[in-house]
Amino acid sequence: MPVPNEAIDCFSFYFGNYSVKSTKLQITRFLLLSLLLAVFAYFCWLMLGITLQYLPLDTDVAFLRIKQDYIGYWHYQVAFFVHVYSAIFCLLAGFTQFSGWIRRKYAKVHRMGGWVYVVTVVLLAGPSGLVIGVYANGGLSSQIAFCLLAVLWVYTTIMAVRAIKNRNYRQHRFFMIRSFALALSAITLRAWKFGLVALFHPKPMDVYLIVAWLGWVLNLLIAELIILKLKQ
Amino acid sequence: MKRPFFLLVLTAFFLFSCANEKESTQQAASLSETSEETTDKPPAPFESESDFRLQAISYFVGDFDALKYDEHKAPSFSNKITIALEYFEDGIVKGHSVVAGNSRPFSGVYVKKDEEYTVRVAEPGDDRYDGVFSFIWNPYYSTGLVGTWVANDTNLAVSEREFHLKKRTFEYDPNQELPEDISWASLYNTDPNLDEMEGEFLTEDVYAFNPSKDRLKKEDIENMYKGDLEIMRNSIYARHGYSFKNRKVRYIFDRYVDCYMPLVTDVRSMLTSLEKENIDLLKRYEAHAEAYYDSFGR
Repeated sequence: MPVPNEAIDCFSFYFGNYSVKSTKLQITRFLLLSLLLAVFAYFCWLMLGITLQYLPLDTDVAFLRIKQDYIGYWHYQVAFFVHVYSAIFCLLAGFTQFSGWIRRKYAKVHRMGGWVYVVTVVLLAGPSGLVIGVYANGGLSSQIAFCLLAVLWVYTTIMAVRAIKNRNYRQHRFFMIRSFALALSAITLRAWKFGLVALFHPKPMDVYLIVAWLGWVLNLLIAELIILKLKQ
Repeated sequence: MKRPFFLLVLTAFFLFSCANEKESTQQAASLSETSEETTDKPPAPFESESDFRLQAISYFVGDFDALKYDEHKAPSFSNKITIALEYFEDGIVKGHSVVAGNSRPFSGVYVKKDEEYTVRVAEPGDDRYDGVFSFIWNPYYSTGLVGTWVANDTNLAVSEREFHLKKRTFEYDPNQELPEDISWASLYNTDPNLDEMEGEFLTEDVYAFNPSKDRLKKEDIENMYKGDLEIMRNSIYARHGYSFKNRKVRYIFDRYVDCYMPLVTDVRSMLTSLEKENIDLLKRYEAHAEAYYDSFGR
């Protein structure tokens, strides 16, 4: 059964080249991307659950139960809640922004979605991430990890906007792949933590120090690999 | 006069020489017959100058071991018990026992034969775990109590227990440390699906700090497992003589902490402000570990 070209198109974000030769390959690609999207949607659902823990606004729940030393600082409080409430919107970009089909057929959706992502990252989730990164659990190592993540996230996003302003679509694409790979650290960090705890039962702060780096460095490496492949 | 209870305990002093173990064991053997005879008899007359008089509340501590039990009802085979004798005169005995978070008064009679007292005391009977204690005490030659306890309700998980208790005094000591062999103690029943070797264990973190003495910082405890945090926090209560209802915690203190004795079922009014602050911090990390350690999240 041949899969309609439209459907393949709408899912082909990373795999760039649309001139598909065999039907078998088309089906494989279609199934693979559907699976990827389904997994991504599932993790977004989990992230939504984490976000909703902080509604209604409460300073003595969940993660904040062990941040009582800092929750008294107004700037920490503001940064924390801005981050928690805004960051979830960045993930929506994963559903729309990498689809060539949406970009070509519904350019407005791509542009609108892009602006939502950029404003959220550059003005809300990014800077607030930097502030709470300064107060990260686990000492200097994780503080540097989270602050660096925030800075790179904002930087790659700004670079992507600058590229599209200059109509440099290639650069725009590459920097958005990097930016979104960093945004995905919200998911990968927690997934790594879950996996490491299930396998090795490490002490809580040991695992935190590991995933603070593992959560985004690996994502960025994979992003570079994808970009390398696209350049060829 | 902040803690009149402890001052009272402090005034308790040793009246007697050390225990003669062999004699006590023999006494235990003959216990069942003697206690039956004494049931409804009036106390035997005695000469007051040679009779023993209790100077203060006396505490006797030791293992309370199951004799008759139903394996299908998850019996607790051994708990630490404290028997407190408050009144011991004119053939009348009054006191209370504290075990597994249950403090129960008892009263009854004793019969004196030579220098040995055969005691039979009953709990009020309005609690489903009430029963009758029968024991032998020789205050002149032994500091121990030897005897049995029979539940009123024979359908309980454990309907009969035996004990061999040593006389002890109690004093709150914030410097009391957990013993080192407590690390690697396995925590009871943390996950019924795991067998003994896979279950949750304590580590040496559990005695890294003394929360009755040291002011804990978050850096001190943020890298600790939940089990260690939990036992560390409960060591505060244990130092005050809290009797644990929670089986997991009770097993640890009963088995590994020799100096621990269950005395009271509520220690809230006895906690120092340092202990209260540490409890609050420890609870936060326990709750966080419970909710998030193995979940998808921070």
